[in-house]
Amino acid sequence: MTGFTLGDTEVVDTFAEAFPMRFTRLVITAATGAWALEAARSMTGFATSVIGCKCEAAIETALAAEHTPDGRPGVAVLLFAMDREGVGKRILERVGQSVMTCPTTACFDGLAGAERTVPLGRNLRYFGDGFQASKVIAGQRFWRIPVMAGEFLVCESIGVGRGVGGGNLVIGAGDEDAALAAAQASAEAMRGEGIALPFPGGIVRSGSKVGALTSKSMPASTNHQMAPTLRVQVGDTLVPDGVAAMFEIVIDGVSENAVRQAMRRGLHAAAAAGATHVTAANFGGKLGEFHFPLTELREAP
Amino acid sequence: MTLTLTLRTQPPAPVLATSLIPERLRGLNASAVAALDLRCGGGTVAVGDLFEVSGAGTEEEKLVLAGDLRRFDWIGAGMSRGEIEVPGDVGAWAGAEMSGGLLRIFGDAGARLGAAYPGARVGMTGGEIVVSGDAGEEAGAGMRRGLVAVGGQTGPGAGLRMLAGTVIALGGIGAEAGLGNKRGSLVSGRPVRPLPGYAFATRFRAPTLVLALRHVRQLGLTVDDRLLRGSWARWSGDRTELTRGEILIFDAEAEETD
Repeated sequence: MTGFTLGDTEVVDTFAEAFPMRFTRLVITAATGAWALEAARSMTGFATSVIGCKCEAAIETALAAEHTPDGRPGVAVLLFAMDREGVGKRILERVGQSVMTCPTTACFDGLAGAERTVPLGRNLRYFGDGFQASKVIAGQRFWRIPVMAGEFLVCESIGVGRGVGGGNLVIGAGDEDAALAAAQASAEAMRGEGIALPFPGGIVRSGSKVGALTSKSMPASTNHQMAPTLRVQVGDTLVPDGVAAMFEIVIDGVSENAVRQAMRRGLHAAAAAGATHVTAANFGGKLGEFHFPLTELREAP
Repeated sequence: MTLTLTLRTQPPAPVLATSLIPERLRGLNASAVAALDLRCGGGTVAVGDLFEVSGAGTEEEKLVLAGDLRRFDWIGAGMSRGEIEVPGDVGAWAGAEMSGGLLRIFGDAGARLGAAYPGARVGMTGGEIVVSGDAGEEAGAGMRRGLVAVGGQTGPGAGLRMLAGTVIALGGIGAEAGLGNKRGSLVSGRPVRPLPGYAFATRFRAPTLVLALRHVRQLGLTVDDRLLRGSWARWSGDRTELTRGEILIFDAEAEETD
């Protein structure tokens, strides 16, 4: 199954399988970068998997004051869901509960010019209980919602684009510390424009498979093939000799190429950081329309 | 190619310049524009008799009116799209009842900038007017939507009977601003005493105003950084109407004590 090696790292001849998703980019600004980050962290909390959380979200990047609409420090957040309606519901909930509530914040559309949009301020304004007001600035409508400290400024609507969710790498090593160090290096290398790593620190310990061996109602259950403690117990293990821990990095991106390039960066960073084994999760190619063969990632970024 | 009208001679009487808007001149060549008649006093005068015309009315719909145009009233009045750039001064009623587009005046503007026509309830319903110098009385009167931004001062009565929209005067709004204002925003970069129909609400950092100020800076107004980072006093009024309008006054004292 070895596709190729990168130094001491065996890279399996397999592919990651990913799915079309819809996404939006929200720009959160605040009086300080720390408050913008607080809001972004809160907004992207419990947004690891669309199966259990109805969306996947992560901080894309911090933004310097000179790169935000209101000249304050900010954070760009990416949020993914299976369809546009899902994006609309989730962004409304999360901005209402996590951003509007956070001191000094304001919200802007990070996908201005997108063909499709979903309402944001247009619906959130009702929190203003009739005291809200709108302003059109440079052709864009904003809502001013009076709150206990000044006003919460939010864009009328937010753009929705077509993205890709579920790109992944699975990184293994001879012990848990080594595997985690390699996974952390990989996640760090993957982060960047157009990429969201929705799991804690970008890393998944409990990778899943579709369905369950013991239940028809479970949508997902532990990926027993990649659980080292079950290596002897199950007949279809995918844990090779010498690998004691495996971590998965799930990658959502604004395009197929963004995911591919992030996987390339992550693969090479993992190898450089001591991974002994890198593979990917898929469903036999039957479920997702995007396939990312690891053999195509051999060239260094 | 931009259509440019450069004034060669001052008109014998005030000129009604309502026809000099990009959407009306689109598709016309220089000679066709020069042949247009303008109302001048009790008679008419051809554009070509007053202006040197170059270029043509194009898809970009940009019109430049150069020269001392203080005797030209209603420049940009009723325009709905495109851009007019005036390097100098203009007369009264510039941008009256605009519904879209950009009117950029680098000199001073006369009275009733962006205002409602006489007897009309609603003035500007959209678009942007940006004036580098001062504006005369009753700027933005009857405004419903849009932006009037003045780098200098506005004369008395700015925002008279405003319905909504925004009037910014970086050099300060004149006396008796916002009489009968329903939901409009008046912004003064200098201290001003609001009418008794307004009451002080609070001081705050105004995120929407920061956006608007950054926008007018992009359009060429000189906006002091202190206005962007400072706090503003909000006065609510007019209490004879809905008390949903506002006058935002730059809080210079707070800025100095920071």
